[in-house]
Amino acid sequence: MTRYAELQAASNFSFLRGASHPGELVFGADALGMEAIGICDRNSLAGVVRAWSEMQRRREAGSTIRALTGCRLDFEDGTPSLLVYPSDREAYGRLTRLLTLGQRRAEKGECHLRWTDFLDHAQGQLALVVPPDRLDAKFEADLRRISGELPDVWLAAARRYGARDLQRLARLQGLAQAHGAPMVAVNDVLYHGPERRALQDVLTCIREGCTIHEAGLRLQANAERHLKSPEEMARLFARFPGAVERSVEIAGRIGFDLSQLRYEYPDEPVPPGKTAIQHLHDLAWEGAAWRFPAGVPERERKTIEHELHLIEKLDFPNYFLTVHDIVRWAREQGILCQGRGSAANSLVCFCLGITAVDPTKPGQDLLFSRFISETRGEPPDIDVDFEHERREEVMQYVYDRYGRDRAAIVATVIHYRPRMAIRQVGKALGLTEDITAALANTVWGSYGDGVPDAHIRQTGLDPDAPEIRRATALAQELLGFPRHLSQHVGGYVLTKRRLDETVPIGNAAMPDRTFIEWDKDDIDALGLMKVDVLALGMLTALKKSFDLLGIADVAEIPQEEPGVYEMLSKADSVGVFQVESRAQMSMLPRMRPSTFYDLVIEVAIVRPGPIQGDMVHPYLRRREGKEQVEYPSPAPEHGRADELESILKKTLGVPLFQEQAMRIAIEAAKFSDSEADGLRRSMATFRHYGSVGEYGVKFVEGMVARGYDPAFAQRCFQQIEGFGSYGFPESHAISFALLVYASAWVKWKRPDVFCVALLNSQPMGFYQPAQLVRDAREHGVEVRPPDVLASEWDCALEEPGRGLGPERDPLRVVRLGFRQIKGFKKEDADLIVQARQAGAATLQEIALASGVNRRALELLAEADAFASLGLSRRDALWAVKGLSTDIRAQKEAPLLARQSLKEAQVMLPFMSAPQEVAEDYRTTSLSLKAHPMTFFREELARIGAVPCAALAGMRDRRRVSAGGIVLVRQRPGTAKGVVFLTLEDETGIANVVVWRDVFEANRRTVMGASFLVVHGQLQKEGEVVHLVAERFTDLSPRLGAMRDDEGPAPQVRSNVTGRLIRSRDFH
Amino acid sequence: MEPGSGRDDSDKACPFALVENVRGARRLAAVSLEAARLRLWPGQKVTDAVAVVPDLLTAEAEPEKDAEALSALVDWCVRFSPAVAADAPDGLFLDVGGVAHLFGGEAEMLADFQGRLAANGLPFRCTIADTPGAAWALAHYGADGTIAPPAGQGELIAPLPPAALRLDPDAAAQIERLGLRRIGQLMELPRAPLARRFGQATLDRLDQALGRTKEALTFRRPPTPWVARLAFFEPISAPEDLARVAHDVTAKLCERLEREGQGARKFEVCFHRVDGKALPVAVGLSLPGRDAARVAKLFAPKLETVDPGFGIDVVTIAAFEVEPVSGRQVKLDARKDAAVEDGLAPLVDRLANRLGEDRVWRAVPVESHVPELSVGRAPALNDKPCDQSSWDPEAPRPVRLFRRPEPVEDVLALTPDDPPRQFRWRGRLHRVSRAEGPERLGEEWWKREIEEVSAAHVRDYYRVEDADGQRFWLFRAGLYDPREPAKWWLHGLFG
Repeated sequence: MTRYAELQAASNFSFLRGASHPGELVFGADALGMEAIGICDRNSLAGVVRAWSEMQRRREAGSTIRALTGCRLDFEDGTPSLLVYPSDREAYGRLTRLLTLGQRRAEKGECHLRWTDFLDHAQGQLALVVPPDRLDAKFEADLRRISGELPDVWLAAARRYGARDLQRLARLQGLAQAHGAPMVAVNDVLYHGPERRALQDVLTCIREGCTIHEAGLRLQANAERHLKSPEEMARLFARFPGAVERSVEIAGRIGFDLSQLRYEYPDEPVPPGKTAIQHLHDLAWEGAAWRFPAGVPERERKTIEHELHLIEKLDFPNYFLTVHDIVRWAREQGILCQGRGSAANSLVCFCLGITAVDPTKPGQDLLFSRFISETRGEPPDIDVDFEHERREEVMQYVYDRYGRDRAAIVATVIHYRPRMAIRQVGKALGLTEDITAALANTVWGSYGDGVPDAHIRQTGLDPDAPEIRRATALAQELLGFPRHLSQHVGGYVLTKRRLDETVPIGNAAMPDRTFIEWDKDDIDALGLMKVDVLALGMLTALKKSFDLLGIADVAEIPQEEPGVYEMLSKADSVGVFQVESRAQMSMLPRMRPSTFYDLVIEVAIVRPGPIQGDMVHPYLRRREGKEQVEYPSPAPEHGRADELESILKKTLGVPLFQEQAMRIAIEAAKFSDSEADGLRRSMATFRHYGSVGEYGVKFVEGMVARGYDPAFAQRCFQQIEGFGSYGFPESHAISFALLVYASAWVKWKRPDVFCVALLNSQPMGFYQPAQLVRDAREHGVEVRPPDVLASEWDCALEEPGRGLGPERDPLRVVRLGFRQIKGFKKEDADLIVQARQAGAATLQEIALASGVNRRALELLAEADAFASLGLSRRDALWAVKGLSTDIRAQKEAPLLARQSLKEAQVMLPFMSAPQEVAEDYRTTSLSLKAHPMTFFREELARIGAVPCAALAGMRDRRRVSAGGIVLVRQRPGTAKGVVFLTLEDETGIANVVVWRDVFEANRRTVMGASFLVVHGQLQKEGEVVHLVAERFTDLSPRLGAMRDDEGPAPQVRSNVTGRLIRSRDFH
Repeated sequence: MEPGSGRDDSDKACPFALVENVRGARRLAAVSLEAARLRLWPGQKVTDAVAVVPDLLTAEAEPEKDAEALSALVDWCVRFSPAVAADAPDGLFLDVGGVAHLFGGEAEMLADFQGRLAANGLPFRCTIADTPGAAWALAHYGADGTIAPPAGQGELIAPLPPAALRLDPDAAAQIERLGLRRIGQLMELPRAPLARRFGQATLDRLDQALGRTKEALTFRRPPTPWVARLAFFEPISAPEDLARVAHDVTAKLCERLEREGQGARKFEVCFHRVDGKALPVAVGLSLPGRDAARVAKLFAPKLETVDPGFGIDVVTIAAFEVEPVSGRQVKLDARKDAAVEDGLAPLVDRLANRLGEDRVWRAVPVESHVPELSVGRAPALNDKPCDQSSWDPEAPRPVRLFRRPEPVEDVLALTPDDPPRQFRWRGRLHRVSRAEGPERLGEEWWKREIEEVSAAHVRDYYRVEDADGQRFWLFRAGLYDPREPAKWWLHGLFG
């Protein structure tokens, strides 16, 4: 039997060259019976981990294929390209250092290498010289030089079915013999199978920026650059004995495997004389004493001991010390943070202060030993969220502490998504810009499964037209291909030895940022240590709330306050973390949460996973007592009837969490641990491979075989698939629920504080300042406009106002800050505050003393911020415009300044109330004077529209009309073409549902209107009220009329859209 | 006068917009009336527009083409008044002072103007006023067709918004924000505070509109083209006269070309008949030239098509694609190839002008893997001797490539892809003594029906030499398939 190892294969991480995923190449090589395959991407190791992971999977299936780690080095000094394979760990480290060197000196995404660089790192490398197209004297000289300087050199020879292949190979063999670089057969692979030729040609066109019709000789002449079987290779190289066998010889000399990179954790500094685990012991028990002031209960004590034992056994103490150190540092700086992730479910993390979740709390039952199995051998996973405005400080701390040579951000592989794929493929196929744009526009959202024919037809194109079909088919193939690497938002990899000896590090687009070539899945697969330093807006808002309330930490918030749950049960949740969305708001009155765990479920249930898996309604029916809680069970001969009860009891028999799905796989479908792990991984990497389907069959069959209802099994799996794209494990839900409770508590206790904290943390969350302010006012908070004599940059609390909190304590007045004024800068705000403190009290004094430029003063005037000086908007603007353009010069010559003020008095027209409101919206996105709809109430009444607030009191199924400003438009992927609108008028909001056919018939109005009256039927379910739209009256142009004076307006042909605010559209 | 933004011609019902790139974002540059009615506006993001109007037709905005079209319109307007100024992107000023009486007065002139524009299918708005500023304001914001009475523009523009004064958009917006929504309100304000706040430029615009200061327009003067003209006292109509005047007018222009060291690739002679009709005749040269005799000779055969009718009173000539050429080599010691070139060019020109321009060509390499597509046609005489890119020596192609491959039989070859040992072509059996190949060429999949695309659709080419030393280019169609006999073809001959 012939043996062969392919040593020259480019994956799609050779961007726009290779046309197969690394995994496909390894799979294909295995299927053809190759001994090994080396993925050699250009100056990059970005794809090697994926190849290696596929190898692990093949081996689990009994294969002996090897995925060799190597890369193709392209030099900028004219040296022929080399295929380089490190023979051992040390040589591998030299290779990654070499690539780091080349990447660091180049722009992002490039690598500049010279021959001498390679020589410095050549020890232990096996090198194959890639001959150029033309075998000239220069190449011969280069080959002589290379083989003279390196001990292990081969000459890679490929048969590409060119006209003079054999002649070329004979010449290569001559050169090989002459220069002691034996010839080895390769196939210079670009894709795993010949059917990828078309895609490879398209990639070439994208790379060259040409169409397929212009590409000419830049394309490959044939489809021969696919993987070939050892027998075929032997036939092709029959005249060159030894060439094919030599590939196996070389592969045999490669002693390096990526598994050798495992567990190279950094050692944390520990007090002298102690080991890491001893130090962790001390910290954990110290923390336990802090968490359990009344003494650590027996059960908790045992758990801690068990966890510490496990941590020691798996050699993770350093990891926990690292996370603890980062969290401790952030705490010291007063930065709010919170950990989550599987390992965060440990009592040790609770004691170390990494999380605020006590996993031993009754009903939570989250002992982490269940999720960190000894056999799985993967690193623990802890993500830490920090205040979004201060995360950068934490990141700098990590760099400072570990040094740039041991800490770096991991990569995010940017994949081709439908829009981009169709656009670039269309362009390469020579479709015109308008057709590709139309095709791309049929894709809603950034994810999606290609382009359905119906959508194409909608754009007026024929999906069966050959060019269109070809474009969509090729775009489909291109989906999921990597496009480029980008830096991850906050995932750090930390290593014991120099990081650049583990993975190449390149420059990011941001100056002074570097990131490694691997993404977090790669890091996971290899078992390297990763810490996620993430940013969360709500933590910023909470921190600001706590500062105003004099609270230090989430832990100080009183638990299980009934008022908080009452508030949430009424869907009074504007601004509250996670549960403020429209979907969450309509769920809250049905869920009627009354305990913390209800919030955990609330967070987890309104997710695409459970929704797609149709888990929501059964859960609600059971919760409301309308349906019996029952647990499907296997046939009696297959096991205990209650095997699912223990897993599903807390969610009333309905699987809602990822962990439950995993446990069902193990308990009910009898997955082995490694299969369950594979399932979990395929879920995490769902978007890259889609191999989750393989597990689906096994899962359903496994359950059915044991006597489960096939429909139930199918539903369980559907949910798992849903998790694939939007995973939400219970541990995350608990961490988030903590923030839900904390933010809801602040909102309930002190709506004034809540309002200020949210406004000062913008942009974040679901609502715009106008809705936050409105909500605060509805809770009795008095809000005052930005004013030059009272405001600072941030919104602030003033003296107690008339409103009262839940415990009859007076709420304070909220003063909007200058930050609400669009275009106004913080530096100018600070200058004005300083000027005020120095005694400036008139417009002129403020202008002179602050020295801000006139544009800043104009912005203040236009925002009506001089009202306390008795200046109307127009008067203030007139006065500001009248100041000399060079205020600084005036400052130096005040006499002159005063003189210039003597000028003819001008009477400007009075501004009407609607105009004032329109101007408020234009400058600050909100108005405290009136809601715009108040000016249209009569008109609305004439049309027959009732105030939005009146809808709640009407009976179900009543025909009714309501109108308002369009706040939000949503077209969720899970809702099958249904559009949700949120309208707002002066009385409240109306939730509108537009079914698909009504939407398609009124698309223009629904998507474009800013002021809309909806005629339809009321639909009530408990406290949830929807208006199901049937017809629309678009009043958008009327909003523009608000800006007009009374009397006949001049004819203006302009592009005024009448829009006061921009709706938040999610499409 | 301002042409509207409508550019939809065929399908009135279909909203249409032009699209441009603004700092990386695709935005609408102009919208049709239909699209405007659907509330799309210039400056809107394309994605937003398409979300609202999914069947929006779009095309790339071409500002250069717009400018060209505007300048063409400006040239056309010269028939009304010599003083025309373009007002980019979509307007123009016509100074009708002193010419309106030729049309019977301003109203009649405006009617004539409107009629002619409408006949050309151009949407437009036009007004007449004392000052360009007032005319602009009325055309953009007033009633279409307004004729302001002398010194009466102030009253007419007073109710218009300040933006009608062609103000800087920021200033206009702020003026309106002060509640000053009409030009009349601005006129009433004290001048000094207004100038202080909104700059002298704002006052100047007001004064220009009201005629208090003069506004200098840049009138378009056509650039001096390469033209010449001959006018005759008596109309001519005899064919030999036509040939003579064609030569004379050509000589007149060529003299100038020679004087200025220029040559042209295209000449167009235009015979203007007494009834106003113009009859153009054009010839092209493969190299820029200015030899009047040579050019006139090219015109001669084409003059038969010219119908002089009641006679021709003017003949004009214009030269195009004018570029510098060096002085003519006439000396005896001139380099030989120059003389060859000189000798070849008239021949090629005569052939091309007689046989048709597309009949005389030179073969050049075309980048394609498909042999029959790798040859292209280029102009017979090219400035550049030959393109750098030539056929790849590593992929030899036969000297004679058959237009259609010819089938061969009795082929003996080892599977799957060894060269043939023998083949029969045109009845004669050839025994192969030497062979090279295969060179495998895949199909151009993008030209096939999707179902028909297959990686097995290849041609395996072999260069073979038979016992007599004849060399052939053979190919087998399709990958080796044991179920089907291989099909062999002969595609060309080497020397």
